[in-house]
Amino acid sequence: MTNDNSPNQLKVTLKSMKPTDHEFKLVVRLSNKADRALHYISDVRTAKFNPQTKTLTICLSDEGREIIPGVMSKLPEFRFIDPNSDAEIELKLPSKLVKLSRSAPPGELAFESHDLADAEKVDIEIAWADIPYYKDTRKLKEDGRLPAARWEQNKAKTSKEIPRKKSKKKK
Amino acid sequence: MSMFILNDASGIGSDDLDPLQAFIDLVIIADDDGIGLDDPAGGMQQVTYNKTVNGPPQTRLDAMVNTNFAPDYGGGAQNVDTIIIPGLSGFTLDDGTPFANNGTALPPASSGLPGASLNTTENCLVIYDTQQNVCLARDGTGGDIDLPASNPVILYHEFSHAFRILNNTLLALTAECDPSSPEENAAIIDENDLRTQIANRQGETPELRDPGIHCGSVGCSSSGCCIIATVASKSFSSWQVQQLRLVRDHFVRSTEVGYDFFENFFHDYYSFSPQVCTMMAGNPKISEHFLEGYINPLLDFWKIMIERSSKLLDETKLANLFTTLHPDRKKAKERLAALQRTSAYWAGDISDKSDSVPEELIALLSERAWPSEHIQWALIEPVRLYHDLLTHYLYNEDKASFGRELNRQLEEWAPEIPISEVWASLPADEVSRELKFCHNTLLQSEKNKQRFNQRLLEKFKDITSIQWVLNQQTKTAGGTQ
Repeated sequence: MTNDNSPNQLKVTLKSMKPTDHEFKLVVRLSNKADRALHYISDVRTAKFNPQTKTLTICLSDEGREIIPGVMSKLPEFRFIDPNSDAEIELKLPSKLVKLSRSAPPGELAFESHDLADAEKVDIEIAWADIPYYKDTRKLKEDGRLPAARWEQNKAKTSKEIPRKKSKKKK
Repeated sequence: MSMFILNDASGIGSDDLDPLQAFIDLVIIADDDGIGLDDPAGGMQQVTYNKTVNGPPQTRLDAMVNTNFAPDYGGGAQNVDTIIIPGLSGFTLDDGTPFANNGTALPPASSGLPGASLNTTENCLVIYDTQQNVCLARDGTGGDIDLPASNPVILYHEFSHAFRILNNTLLALTAECDPSSPEENAAIIDENDLRTQIANRQGETPELRDPGIHCGSVGCSSSGCCIIATVASKSFSSWQVQQLRLVRDHFVRSTEVGYDFFENFFHDYYSFSPQVCTMMAGNPKISEHFLEGYINPLLDFWKIMIERSSKLLDETKLANLFTTLHPDRKKAKERLAALQRTSAYWAGDISDKSDSVPEELIALLSERAWPSEHIQWALIEPVRLYHDLLTHYLYNEDKASFGRELNRQLEEWAPEIPISEVWASLPADEVSRELKFCHNTLLQSEKNKQRFNQRLLEKFKDITSIQWVLNQQTKTAGGTQ
């Protein structure tokens, strides 16, 4: 009997990637090797760009996200995949990511803007579990984790290098 | 003096910021001539306020604008200003959280308060998406997430957090959104003060948010949609707007695939519709063109489709339905003339050459609307078909022939619906369920079902669940022959 909860039961690959003027679309393929349905987060929860390594990291997971004041809290979107089946999901990001700059002089309000078409490597992580997400009604001690971060059992990961287009030599 | 709007920043300039919208939101919150802005300096504009109106939002705003806050977070008193950062496209927090459709108030970096580690400054940053479309829990419903939020309401919600950050009285935040944390509960109570005041100003009954629930979603059923119909019909609650909502919520958005279709459609639609509305607001002639030469025909087309989706209609019944929708031939001819004017308009045949708006409108639609397959299928092709059919109806006396033509045109159009990527993510039983819904409502005839199934098979050659379901259907069909 297979262990349905082993980290390798859900495989993920980046099938395609398409930058446009307004957004950056990715198609991700998931393969469930287990003999039971697996449940996963299907929307982008965090996106980071490392300008040094030109790596775009996309997480479909709430692990590591801080609890901060805000207009609203939105739970992730969840889907499931049948046993021994494949599925594809489409992810959309804005064409560039803007964040507060940490390389500016201390205390100065400055930003960094990164064009995602510059990415040379894409890492994707997808949180999954062999049970669906449900609201935990126990009176738990606050541990700083969002509810979906408590739910996830594993992460399926993939990493893909993006071949740089060769610039055409001028004749 | 302690409140500023960011209008230009190192690293991004001014392109991604929307300081004008922030000021408009402040004006709505204040509802008071005493609100103003100083000249820009250092990439910011200082907010000024001489309060002349009394009410909770005005009192809060007065305190935030006219107090020098110097909270002591443990390292001694420090001056803290509020900086409003409006509408950064693609903004993400340091932990990678995207900020579309949300707002936050980040405490100073050294304060140690929740969110402080995401702030790079010693000021309180109020960041909000000025193009948001969020949906929140309506008070008194037990948690129905169907209450929209306007930009001023969102900004004022964040002011509530900011006020307690500035006074170092932030309440506890918890991971769960239902029940809401003490801090969010307090912010929602404040938010409701502004909701009440805005409704009272307009002579309407306040629609309030449930302070006990902080959960929300993106996309709200009573806001956003049908913006062009709203402007054209000059009312948010006109029958045209209500009809389009009906199509969206009970037809397009009632299934997984339909929902995804709508999300894509919504995305494409909002890439041009706000600008169209701005142009329409300044040019009443465009509104007239749109209402009778576009919106009303579109609605009649979708009325036919809704009827057709709920029961099988043969050619005679379809022709009868069309006739019922056009009882007055004179009015039908006037509508045809309006459709012809609109067609000429799209073709660039603009009589008033002194007006640049129509050309701008056509350029905008050519760039943003026409290339979208979702807009084409749902908004453009239906009106083109309706135009053809109305011509046929008015100038062909043979009802049977008209019924055949109507059926033929719908049969050709329906199975060409854009195929959503979400099909590939569904397990087999959901594929089967979604397909059944499509077959029964949109497609109906065997020919249409086969055409649509064939398109699905071609698009998702290597998706197990889709292949399995379609193979099963083929076997079943073969077995019953």
